[in-house]
Amino acid sequence: MDKNSLKPEQIDILKEIGNIGMGNATTSLSKMLEEKIKMDVPEVSLISLSEVPELVGGPEKPVAVVFSKALGEVSFFIIFLMPEHSALNIIKALTDGETNEFCYMGRSVIREVGNIVGAAYLSALSFLTNYTFKQTPPILAIDMAGAILGTIFAEADLADDTLLLIKTILNTELTDFEGYLFIVPNWEKFKSIVEILGLELEE
Amino acid sequence: MITRVKIADIATQRGSGVLITVGLGSCIGTVFYDSKSITAGMAHVLLPDSTQFNSKKQNAMKFADTALPLMLDNMLKKGALKKNIVAKIAGGSKLFEFNTPDGKTEISVGEKNIQAVKKTLKHMGISLVAEDVGGTFGRTMKLFVDTGKVEISSLEGYKKLF
Repeated sequence: MDKNSLKPEQIDILKEIGNIGMGNATTSLSKMLEEKIKMDVPEVSLISLSEVPELVGGPEKPVAVVFSKALGEVSFFIIFLMPEHSALNIIKALTDGETNEFCYMGRSVIREVGNIVGAAYLSALSFLTNYTFKQTPPILAIDMAGAILGTIFAEADLADDTLLLIKTILNTELTDFEGYLFIVPNWEKFKSIVEILGLELEE
Repeated sequence: MITRVKIADIATQRGSGVLITVGLGSCIGTVFYDSKSITAGMAHVLLPDSTQFNSKKQNAMKFADTALPLMLDNMLKKGALKKNIVAKIAGGSKLFEFNTPDGKTEISVGEKNIQAVKKTLKHMGISLVAEDVGGTFGRTMKLFVDTGKVEISSLEGYKKLF
């Protein structure tokens, strides 16, 4: 896989999946938070795995990451990453100020937020492709961005040095929250999704 | 000079300066040091074994079995002698708990990496003089080239010097 293997129209399709999926996710989140959430247009890129930590503020940045695998005809990883202060802010907002730390309650709030975002994305993808996906229970880690992302890449057994990343940033004003959704598919298999959607667009 | 070693990356340096790799989770930071010629090397490997992958374009710096011989070569070119080189390692932690369908806990990638690095060192005939591996937290590894001392730190304020 090289950087030229994505055609502009394929990138558009991936962006559109990102848009719809994240649209679902932000609707759910803004209901929970009772405020509007701004979502950036998804960025789709092929990126060297050593560069990924730089995208979120460097490998040493403290972050909370909720991570699960989507299993099905096409399997991929769903990674929802929040800077530590964002994670603490959303815990505070969702527990009505009762807690703002990574205690049992706080961790479970964060896991749930990540779960909602991931599930919303998957249901959009499922709707668009007719594929069914089974999402593994979300796993949470709070540590340095580089340590967590490196571990996920290792778990993914990535044979390639380049990842296909669909990145979306969410932010809110009242809660001061920012989150990044990364979809890390096995590119070879993910092609079939792009093809399905491509064909549908041509009809 | 401070040299940053990224994921699946190797750096070698002689004389002075610092080699640093930030955010080792299940990955392993391996340091080679020759105190006679003051030559240092650092590798940040992601996976244990390159032979599991058949893809043609492999980054040798990503795997324990290929990165460490490559780092040794780079150091020999800089004037180090193999008989003087010792190794120190850090990382291989378990940030996530995965369960197999039958409920057993899988061997983590971190654990596999630790084993692979140790096996490779043994195979190469390089002695491992210090290690800080395992656990459930990420580490940053710093090597001071002039002394060969390694400093390990974590977000929670964990510190180790060896």
